[in-house]
Amino acid sequence: MKKILPAIAITVFLGIIFSAWYIKGYNKVIALNENVKNAWSQVDTQLKRRYDLIPNLVETVKGYASHEKEIFEKLAEARKGYFSAGTIEDKTRAATQIEGFLSRLLMFRETYPDLKANESFLKMQDSLEGTENRISVERKRYNDAVRELNTYIKSFYGRFFAARTGIAEAQYFEIAEAEKEVPTVKF
Amino acid sequence: MRSNLRRGNFYRYFGLFVFFLCLCSIAEAQGLPVPQRYVEDRANIISDAVENGLNGYLQELAQKTGAQMIVLTINTTGDIPIETYAIELATKWKLGQAGKDNGALVVIAKDDRAYRIEVGYGLEGILPDSFCGTVGRTYFVPNFRKGHFSEGIFQGVVVMVHKIAEENGVKITGMPDIAELRKKSTGRQNPFLSLLILLVVLPFFISRLFNRRRYSSYWWGGPPIIFGGSRGFGSGGSGGFGGFGSFGGGMGGSFGGGGASGRW
Repeated sequence: MKKILPAIAITVFLGIIFSAWYIKGYNKVIALNENVKNAWSQVDTQLKRRYDLIPNLVETVKGYASHEKEIFEKLAEARKGYFSAGTIEDKTRAATQIEGFLSRLLMFRETYPDLKANESFLKMQDSLEGTENRISVERKRYNDAVRELNTYIKSFYGRFFAARTGIAEAQYFEIAEAEKEVPTVKF
Repeated sequence: MRSNLRRGNFYRYFGLFVFFLCLCSIAEAQGLPVPQRYVEDRANIISDAVENGLNGYLQELAQKTGAQMIVLTINTTGDIPIETYAIELATKWKLGQAGKDNGALVVIAKDDRAYRIEVGYGLEGILPDSFCGTVGRTYFVPNFRKGHFSEGIFQGVVVMVHKIAEENGVKITGMPDIAELRKKSTGRQNPFLSLLILLVVLPFFISRLFNRRRYSSYWWGGPPIIFGGSRGFGSGGSGGFGGFGSFGGGMGGSFGGGGASGRW
């Protein structure tokens, strides 16, 4: 009896330490994963905001360059593509595509000087540029959150807890330079 | 043994010293320290009169609405784009109140010929991107192109302060309504406007120079002066430049990249 008591005490003590460690690691994976989800929802909000601006911008530009039908159609298509995209990867690709068309649309101000003098075009351009800036800010924050999660998941203990929680590595929001359509200016 | 210990101590302190040196250089590389006043003119392009005037307005704005706006001029942002520079600095300084996120940062990089108006989450409704863009195009760019930095900064910042104050239902003492003046006058470059700014700011500055002690008791209503936290208006407060326009630091506001930027 005298020998059993300390053994029990030690076992209980180790048990407490182990479960504390376990809970801590488990919660860390979950918290990091939540961060990634939150960061993505911020990115998504800003991307949606950008796409809400597009119809207005297109209307304004159409007034000056109605014959540039091709880009308007492509833009509308890419916009639809974003809303129907399910995975983050698809959304990222659609977003990059739209970015290319948008910068081309904005370059029209060089081709059609009247646009530059149009106050509503300038204001729309401000909103669009502001949104682009917000997107890049949120994108950076998202990528930072992803990096933190992925680094932890790859670590020795992290792998163990990731398997327990079933959380996988998250996808970065990368801009593939190759997919970006370079704006071309026609003179 | 004893000398060994001493030497150990020496190395330890030396190591600590080197460590702090490194820390300092890292801190410097990461950005500027939190400014002491609302207008931080590092590029030295704002006249003292305008600087003091704006300091007063911005301090009163912060006291009445909680919105913290900082104006920073620098020579260059280096390799990083001004947009990145501004958001990192604003996030680091935590301008605006926590939860209300009502901070703003105006950065003007003289040699880069670029400006950025960074707006906190909570002010995005009052200062939408298009408004910031208009302020930049209307007041910053034309003035900066001519090298009139003081005028451009004064007009642009006053217009934004006015908007924030208006939305919050407060008035900033002695501040001219630049947008209204501009609307009334039809001329492109308006000498009246510059004259008015001079009229508003100059007496303020002169009285400050000549009559530091009692100046606020009979001045006709310029920017309020704060002497160590209490409003010195009419109270004949004594004291030097110490507490005037001093910025106590950010209050935990956060930023999401709202605002506008441009080049001249």
